[in-house]
Amino acid sequence: MKRLIAATAMVATGLSVTAAKADEVFVGHLMDITGATGFIGKFYADGVRDALSYVNTHGGIDGTILDSESVDYAYKVPQAIANYKKWRSRNEMIAMQGWGTGDTEALISFAAQDKVPVYSASYSGHLTDPTAKNPKTAKPAPYNFFYGASYSDACRAMVQWAAEDWKASGGSGKPVFSHIGDNHPYPNAPKEACAEYATELGFEVTEPVVVSMKPGDFKAQCLTIKEAGTNYGYLANLGPSVVSLVKSCDTVGATPKWLANIWAGDVETLKTVGDVENYVFPAMTSFWTDEGVPGMDLVREISKMSDSSGEQFRTHHYIRGICSVYYMKEAMEWAKANGGITGENIKAGMYARTDWVPKGLEGVCMPATWTAEDHRGINTVNIYSGSAKGGEPTVEKLTTVTLPRRDDWLGY
Amino acid sequence: MAGFSMRPCGDFRTTYRQDTRIFDTTVVRNAAILGVIATALIPFVLDGYYVNLFIQISYFAIAALGLNILVGFTGQISLGHAAFFGFGAFASAWINNTTGIPVLLSIPLAGLMTAAVGLLFGLPAARIKGLYLAIATLAAQFILEDFFARADWFTGGSYGAAANPVNVFGYEVLDDFSFFYVCLFFLVIMYLLGTNLMRSRDGRAFVAVRDHYLSAEIMGINLTKYRLMSFAISSFYAGIGGAMYGHYLGFVSAEGFTILLSIQFLGMIIIGGLGSVKGTLMGTIFMVLLPEVMENGVGLLSVFDWANSTAVTDGLAYIKEMAIGLAIILFLIFEPDGLAHRWQQIRAYWKLYPFSY
Repeated sequence: MKRLIAATAMVATGLSVTAAKADEVFVGHLMDITGATGFIGKFYADGVRDALSYVNTHGGIDGTILDSESVDYAYKVPQAIANYKKWRSRNEMIAMQGWGTGDTEALISFAAQDKVPVYSASYSGHLTDPTAKNPKTAKPAPYNFFYGASYSDACRAMVQWAAEDWKASGGSGKPVFSHIGDNHPYPNAPKEACAEYATELGFEVTEPVVVSMKPGDFKAQCLTIKEAGTNYGYLANLGPSVVSLVKSCDTVGATPKWLANIWAGDVETLKTVGDVENYVFPAMTSFWTDEGVPGMDLVREISKMSDSSGEQFRTHHYIRGICSVYYMKEAMEWAKANGGITGENIKAGMYARTDWVPKGLEGVCMPATWTAEDHRGINTVNIYSGSAKGGEPTVEKLTTVTLPRRDDWLGY
Repeated sequence: MAGFSMRPCGDFRTTYRQDTRIFDTTVVRNAAILGVIATALIPFVLDGYYVNLFIQISYFAIAALGLNILVGFTGQISLGHAAFFGFGAFASAWINNTTGIPVLLSIPLAGLMTAAVGLLFGLPAARIKGLYLAIATLAAQFILEDFFARADWFTGGSYGAAANPVNVFGYEVLDDFSFFYVCLFFLVIMYLLGTNLMRSRDGRAFVAVRDHYLSAEIMGINLTKYRLMSFAISSFYAGIGGAMYGHYLGFVSAEGFTILLSIQFLGMIIIGGLGSVKGTLMGTIFMVLLPEVMENGVGLLSVFDWANSTAVTDGLAYIKEMAIGLAIILFLIFEPDGLAHRWQQIRAYWKLYPFSY
């Protein structure tokens, strides 16, 4: 009898071990916390990491555990590719949470070939065209997804706001718009698209002002901005470079209304600038300090994964990381119920619903729709205005802009 | 250094031809052939991760050999090698996309185009040297980087350029398994060419220019010609490596070819051994594998609970990054002649054992 029990127990244990292994899927996580974009990448990476562990400690994907590994690739493309290949060949990775422009673009072909959905924080417009329908799209990106408006769309939304702001503030004549950023793929991503729309809305668009991504003394560029009479200056860089630009421009008396891109606008930046007004930036989620947002409870619970006190302040980049994971999670749940969690099914899961918000994050993530021909998940942009006095930032919401899904804007 | 010979006793050389053989001894030659055959078996034995690492090693090694020809053999300096590497990537994609020339041909053509650009930027080398030349090549780095972001017709501007996969007789090389052999082919060819170059009259002229330019000139070596030629050949190698990189990724973005990559190329040849073809390959292998080994080392710690907290993993990430800098410093202090020299010493040790000299 004892033998029988022992044998049954052994078989049962063996089965459960097998079952546990079979009920795990691998999700790779590339992050940059030490490289060129580390100062901002860290916030986003924390959001992704915490969300992945939270999902696992709360039942996984309907019982399937997400085996994941977070690797700091320090914004080096070869290392990103090596990790991708390692995960693909050894861990049978079925989806990946990525990060920047360099790695995301390098992995487009591999992801499409291996059918691995890549969720990144690179919001370049050309990632939104999965079938290369727009002749301007250099390469179709069928397995790339991101949560948020593309850089181009976010900039268009702000230009649209600026056009109304110009009228509301009683401005006469044509307002002047300038793109201010380094001559690199990331700052350039929305340059033409945004300038075109600004012209369409009646702005006078100046020559782009080139400002290095590395912080420095930018008084010369600020004088150019002043001479051009810029009313709305779009800040295409991020972090320290933007801080030095705003400070330099303050010194020379060039104070247009700043329109920042999504990585250049957060409370941390405002604090560092110290004294600034009318700093307009987009956000794709609610803020940590917002009250009465139902989904914020879940965000706070997720935050406790790496900060048990629950006191640590989190930027909206952190919260965007959570949204990115949760859209993937729900697509995986759909996949599990519709033929199993595979890359192809996760992709289909992204298309399965329209205007959806992950369960539990209502009010935090915005309703999104992805289709097989259009990966512009979100075309709505919340616009905020920040000010800081002596390093004490305040942020208020200005408006919400919903952009049309124009065909000529797809992938651009 | 590079001429350290380990011929067995009684193996005399009686002609210049024998004296300039590619491989010192028959054993070395057979070992090299066996090495290539063994490498060709990698995709059958090892998984996709290793195959990818080999592919990385091959395109970087080809470009690094170019830099070693310039820095190690000719004694010039270049801080703009990554820009030439990038130019090759864009050029090959451009040739293939606009003219429809097959990728296998567009790769060497991109090499030639890059050589022409290298020649242009190498012009100052005819007159200046040392620190001045370093700064001139640094300018090449920035000018080309800016060109990549602006020249929409050539590079696709900030959107980047799509690069088609390699196509061999109508068969598209889409997976790493097949691309591995394309890389192996180019690696062997380019390294054989590099070694041969060093045996030739021109190669010896390079070394003469490096060792003492005045003596070289007195001996009748045209300094301008050889300095320029060295720049062109160096860029040719960079172009080929870059083109392979571009077609491997299928997409070329201006972002990847920064000064940091140029420094990394310098790191490869310093660690491998300046003026050594074999050392270049060793240095590249070292530089490609170091972050991976560090990553795996850091990964091993994750079995401990304390190592799984965000604070520790983030701290380890910094250590991993610093290791690369540390490796370069340690090599400069303890092994200035690089891995190639160390390899010779290991060989000598076994050859002379139990005597130390």
